[in-house]
Amino acid sequence: MSTEARQTLVDEAVHEKIMAAADEIKAWGEAAARDARDLVNQPTINNWLEAMGLDSDRFRQGEAPPSMAQVWTMYGQGGRHPDRDPLHAMMNVLSDAGFNGVLGTNSEQSYDRYLRVGEQVRVTTALDSVVGPKSTGMGVGYFVTSKSTWYVGEERVATMLFRVLKFIPKGGAS
Amino acid sequence: MKAGDEIPVWVLPITPTLVVSTAIATRDFQDVHHDRDRAQAAGSKDIFMNILTSTALCERYVTDWAGTDVQIKGISIRLGAPAYPYDTLSFSGEVIEVADGEATIKVTGEVSVGAHVTGTVRVAA
Repeated sequence: MSTEARQTLVDEAVHEKIMAAADEIKAWGEAAARDARDLVNQPTINNWLEAMGLDSDRFRQGEAPPSMAQVWTMYGQGGRHPDRDPLHAMMNVLSDAGFNGVLGTNSEQSYDRYLRVGEQVRVTTALDSVVGPKSTGMGVGYFVTSKSTWYVGEERVATMLFRVLKFIPKGGAS
Repeated sequence: MKAGDEIPVWVLPITPTLVVSTAIATRDFQDVHHDRDRAQAAGSKDIFMNILTSTALCERYVTDWAGTDVQIKGISIRLGAPAYPYDTLSFSGEVIEVADGEATIKVTGEVSVGAHVTGTVRVAA
């Protein structure tokens, strides 16, 4: 996008500041490593199976459904982001610049293998890209893509590219 | 599994119980997935389905058809219209490619106003 075209969406100084922050946070690489609260466990799998309406001997006998990879490392109620969490940090930069709206737009998960009951999962987060400004149906915003990588020990077991739109809501209200 | 194979349509009624139970089962406690007052205050019509569940339902849709013995390699989704209670989520799908030991299945989940989720599920084939 030309500088002029961009300036009609976002002030150039604001844009420069956002992109500089993005470069700095990207340089952190895989950061904010944290362990899942619990080991991969059958009761949590069973709750998920019941809620999703999915019944399978495979998942009642020690393997976890693949799309549960993310579940194990969810923050839960009252969980706190670690310091220097790349996604959280980038979201704060954009919120501080007035991009208060947030909308999840894409999730791309890949599974190296299924997890098994008893395994301790660890996740890292990296900032993959910040693209914008874009004019969208929601308002002007930036697309923020983060990459989560899940490990058991040193073995990578799953990855996810997750994209959100951080935007200034149309009409100015957040 | 071969290109062109179609998966039978699956129509899932979206209930408040579905939205809330799946959000909690995916350990997602964001209020917009269980508290209508807070969801409406944030500008939504109602509580709405969380992204982990949209992904999980794509997994279920494919394994209801292919069986859970199939090995899922990845699920990529793009989110569209929110899935609100009292709407229905209608899944359709088709195998679009089988190559290099992997089948790619295109999946669409539609609500009344359009696509809630479009994406692909990759499975070992």
